[in-house]
Amino acid sequence: MGDDAQSGVDRRQFLKVLGVTGAGAAALGGCSTDRVAKLVPYMVQSEDQVPGVPTFYASTCTECSTGCGLVVKTREGRPIKLEGNPEHPVNAGALCSRGQAGLQGLYNPDRIGTPLARNAAGGFDAISWDDAIARLAAKVPGAQGRLAVINGYGAGTFSALLDQWTSAVGGRTVRYDPFAREAERLAAERTWGRSQLPSYDFAAARYIVSFGADFLETWGPTVEHQRGFAMSHGFADGQMAKHVFVGPRMSLTAANADHWVSVPAGSETLVAFAMASHLGSTATSHTPDSVGTATGIDPATIRTMAEEFRSMSPSLAVAGGVPGQHRGAIDLCHAVNLLNEAAGNVGRTVTFTAAPIGSDGYAATQALFADMASGNVALVIVHEANPLFTMPKSGKFAEALAKVPFKVSTAQVMDETAAACDLVLPNLHGLERWDDLQPRSGLIGLLQPTVQPVFAAMHTGDVLLATARKVGGALGAAFTATTFEEHLKAAWGNDPEAWREALAVGGKFSGALPGADASTAIAAVPDSARAPASAPASAPAPASAPAASSDVLVGVPTFDGDGEFVFLPYPSMMYYDGRGANKPWLLENPDPMTKITWQSWVELHPDTARRIDVREGEIVEVTSPHGSLRAQVYVYPGVRPDTVAMPIGLGHTQYGRYAKDRGANPLDLLGAANGKGFLPYVGTKVSITRTGDYHKVAKTEGTPRQLGRGIIEAMAFTHAAAGMTPEEAYRAGGHTTHEINPPRELEAIDGWYEGQVERWKIGEYGIEHAKWGMAIDLSRCTGCSACVTACYAENNIPTVGEEQIFKGREMSWMRIERYWEGGDDGEPIEARFIPMLCQHCDNAPCEPVCPVYAAYHTPDGLNGQVYNRCVGTRYCSNNCPYKVRYFNWLKYNEKAWPSPLNLQLNPEVTTRARGVMEKCTFCVQRIRGAQGRARLEDRPLKDGDIMPACAQACPSRAIAFGNVRDPAAAVVGWKRDPRGYRVLEDTNVQSVITYLARVIHRDPEQPAAASDSGGGH
Amino acid sequence: MRNKLYFGGATLGALAVAAVAFSRQTGAQQAAPPPPVATLDTSSLKGPTQPILFRHDIHSGQLKMQCQYCHYSVQVSSEPGIPSMQTCMGCHTVVKGSTDEHRVEIKKLADAWAAKKPIEWVRIHAVARHVRFPHSLHIKALGSNGCATCHGNVARMPQVFQVNNVNNMGWCVSCHIERQVTRDCTACHY
Repeated sequence: MGDDAQSGVDRRQFLKVLGVTGAGAAALGGCSTDRVAKLVPYMVQSEDQVPGVPTFYASTCTECSTGCGLVVKTREGRPIKLEGNPEHPVNAGALCSRGQAGLQGLYNPDRIGTPLARNAAGGFDAISWDDAIARLAAKVPGAQGRLAVINGYGAGTFSALLDQWTSAVGGRTVRYDPFAREAERLAAERTWGRSQLPSYDFAAARYIVSFGADFLETWGPTVEHQRGFAMSHGFADGQMAKHVFVGPRMSLTAANADHWVSVPAGSETLVAFAMASHLGSTATSHTPDSVGTATGIDPATIRTMAEEFRSMSPSLAVAGGVPGQHRGAIDLCHAVNLLNEAAGNVGRTVTFTAAPIGSDGYAATQALFADMASGNVALVIVHEANPLFTMPKSGKFAEALAKVPFKVSTAQVMDETAAACDLVLPNLHGLERWDDLQPRSGLIGLLQPTVQPVFAAMHTGDVLLATARKVGGALGAAFTATTFEEHLKAAWGNDPEAWREALAVGGKFSGALPGADASTAIAAVPDSARAPASAPASAPAPASAPAASSDVLVGVPTFDGDGEFVFLPYPSMMYYDGRGANKPWLLENPDPMTKITWQSWVELHPDTARRIDVREGEIVEVTSPHGSLRAQVYVYPGVRPDTVAMPIGLGHTQYGRYAKDRGANPLDLLGAANGKGFLPYVGTKVSITRTGDYHKVAKTEGTPRQLGRGIIEAMAFTHAAAGMTPEEAYRAGGHTTHEINPPRELEAIDGWYEGQVERWKIGEYGIEHAKWGMAIDLSRCTGCSACVTACYAENNIPTVGEEQIFKGREMSWMRIERYWEGGDDGEPIEARFIPMLCQHCDNAPCEPVCPVYAAYHTPDGLNGQVYNRCVGTRYCSNNCPYKVRYFNWLKYNEKAWPSPLNLQLNPEVTTRARGVMEKCTFCVQRIRGAQGRARLEDRPLKDGDIMPACAQACPSRAIAFGNVRDPAAAVVGWKRDPRGYRVLEDTNVQSVITYLARVIHRDPEQPAAASDSGGGH
Repeated sequence: MRNKLYFGGATLGALAVAAVAFSRQTGAQQAAPPPPVATLDTSSLKGPTQPILFRHDIHSGQLKMQCQYCHYSVQVSSEPGIPSMQTCMGCHTVVKGSTDEHRVEIKKLADAWAAKKPIEWVRIHAVARHVRFPHSLHIKALGSNGCATCHGNVARMPQVFQVNNVNNMGWCVSCHIERQVTRDCTACHY
């Protein structure tokens, strides 16, 4: 650790120098204080900052339209970690990877630090804010009636101000969300006559059918869905809901289903109609038999699903999202609405009480683009949106934009749209500004500054107000506030006490909202435990007026082109609509299904790949009628042979150093024609051509199969409900005895254990120590990888980049392993996930081989790793059966955090240098911190005081951590579960992590198992 | 307790070696005469020359101010806290100094305050980057006067210097052994 050259991140300065402003010319040497460092005091001590003690602020996430609540952990005035707000009804303390990576948006080194104006040479000049506002103000009077604003920010005070400002000038705003759920809204209009998005209660559902909706990944409030899904579909008390996924690709959501019904893209609609008709809906004439004939699905399967859907009540069917957005998407969502009606789910699992507030829809966007193209727009302002990337190129938005004489962007990072604008007025990041966000009726989240602006950006609200003052006239008279902060407080009623209260909790989660109709009170959020199936929901049932059966016979939707394959773009879990592509955490966190990092890829079914003779990593040309692109092949058993899939999010031509020129953008292949009020993402057919080029796939998986190692145990629901252990379930399944340890070994283990107890006593100093342990419920874990990002954030784990991933040098202390099961000889393919981290073995193989005692066992049962002792022999890693030790091969710490990304580093964790072995510590800094706090407060440590970062972030609450010597600890209860097992138990390493076996309902083809398996009725 | 009481600056004339001696752990012990008289010539004092000759011996020694008055977070945080300029000015708006020497130094402070430029103190104690040293827990264990255990008797130092090498792990551990407290590596290293 004593490498003086490593001053890129000088932890001591970061931590110790109070009120640091780049103090100290020289870095402190590792182990000496001979060099001169400076201590720079604050001029005036801030009351809510104590050096060395974190300060927490409640705020709201702006990484997608869900609006999860945040708790921002700051140290010495800098946010260092984003966690979910436990009080928030949407995310209840958890946070997805994208939300956590908001921190890397704040500190992104590619943020625009000053207003930019287009110069004569076509480049940008940095200008002052006064100049920038003057330039905008000069254009406003001439744009009377011809102003257009594209607003990607959600509803709230800012958007209301923007609307007011725009209409004062005489223009219009279009609320733009690339993944707007328009098909669902239009279907709700058709089914129930309500132009609203329903909200879904996954926690109460006993049977869930998803028709292509990736509700665990990118569709809707995923963290809330995950929590609900874990409550219903996580095995507990002999009960577990059943989940069936109908769609052309095995997404993460499909991988978490008990059964994946693979249907051609567009045919989900038929299945939904057939189920509805089997349940007595008269709105359709499709039947299981007719659909079976049309799609090749066994009609018995459809009938069984329909029966279960009715009997395992309340059930829930959902549809929507990009992978289901073909030209028949409204029909699909309508069919699903009918299905929910037929099973009596409306008002129970499907409600309109907390309806998400959508955007203005694709038709409005299209109309605006047409106006721009015809020269009817004189001034356009693009706010928090990047349509040049998120719109298909065939829509010719770039050409339309070019027709506008003056274009303004408020982008924080130079994205594609900003690069095409004349004036760039960088907005403050969500963690730097005052704002609010209303993601759904009855809920409004507040944003407050948690840090001084890292870059000299300006709140767009302030820009609007300053411009209005400068322009004067009607526009100037429209606003009384001089700053947006003032405006916001006025909108919230100017009541200091209520304001402080709202700031403390992070917004207003119920009751009358500021400036809103008091009747939009929110009902209970779906967190209220598992409601009894028969309990009537408190929510009022929506108007139930099934539409007249006008379009009873809906066929498979049409596709552009005559290529061989249906093209299925889907939003990446990490990059979403592309906004995540400039954040190294998200680039390095592998896609949960493919385990690919830093790249984009085309998924081909193994049969397809064999037929056209391509292998993983070969670059193919994908051609549609609207364009073509080149991308690497990933052979993926979870996609249909008639379909190729590709993640959305990469392929930027701008957007900073991490995103620029990385991967390909599947939207380039799409037609932009307005389907029926939405962009038909799944609306093209493509052909695939070999190019002969090759680029290695940067994936982190080793072997895709378990090869009989029993890493992820799974058992049938009936076995789990009977209280069997995985071992018993294995035998009950007709397998021969699966002996983990023969008697001789068990004897040896006992003897070993006694010796070990003696050893543990060394260093106990007569104090009763805790012994830390963990349990992970694989029946709750969905593989979403939020824990991985949390681990990176908490433990200063460097990202290493594509080249190092090729060499297998990723540093993810915690990783999600994905193994395939089945898939041969017509068996259904199944994906299983397991979070893999240091198992903190009691008989750790890494410890005795360390020549310098850097790896050793702590008295409280941790497998300690002392970085400053480590000399990098890597013997420990060689000896680790779980491969959870990571060697810092190069000076990752110098490259991973270019300034100001280094400000995100956690000062409580040493930043490791080259040549050091590192690994999961069970967040020992949190353990020692909690112990210290308890000590200062003269109280014993209690269960729940310590929460490792992974467990904290987990949306499914799949991880329990605590003192296994405390009989009352939650983790002890989990460990007693009969489903518990230890990975690679036969190596006798005595790991302290107990995994609870995954539980799977049998396939719907086996009605006997299915009909008595609900448990909830 | 291997608490080395250190009566620094005791013999101003005998400190020719002080400038080079401070960075290693010196064991020189002297008898304790009364606190020295201030002088503007700090070259003979131990410890690095600070931008202002802040007199710990006056504040802590003669005026008997508690360490925690300025090092305000030492009981609650891993960091002891360096007093803000406002804290200094809380008294020195009124206290202008009784001698010319004092007035000169206090004026430096007032000027910095007026110019809104914080004083850049030269750092004396810093544990290495791979060590966590929670001040709060040590004050809890040693009491509010426990500072001297590591920092020496600052109350007798006209200019602070390092008494103990805070990066000598053996020195840390010997105290932990003596007091029967944890010697686990991950108590400090993580």
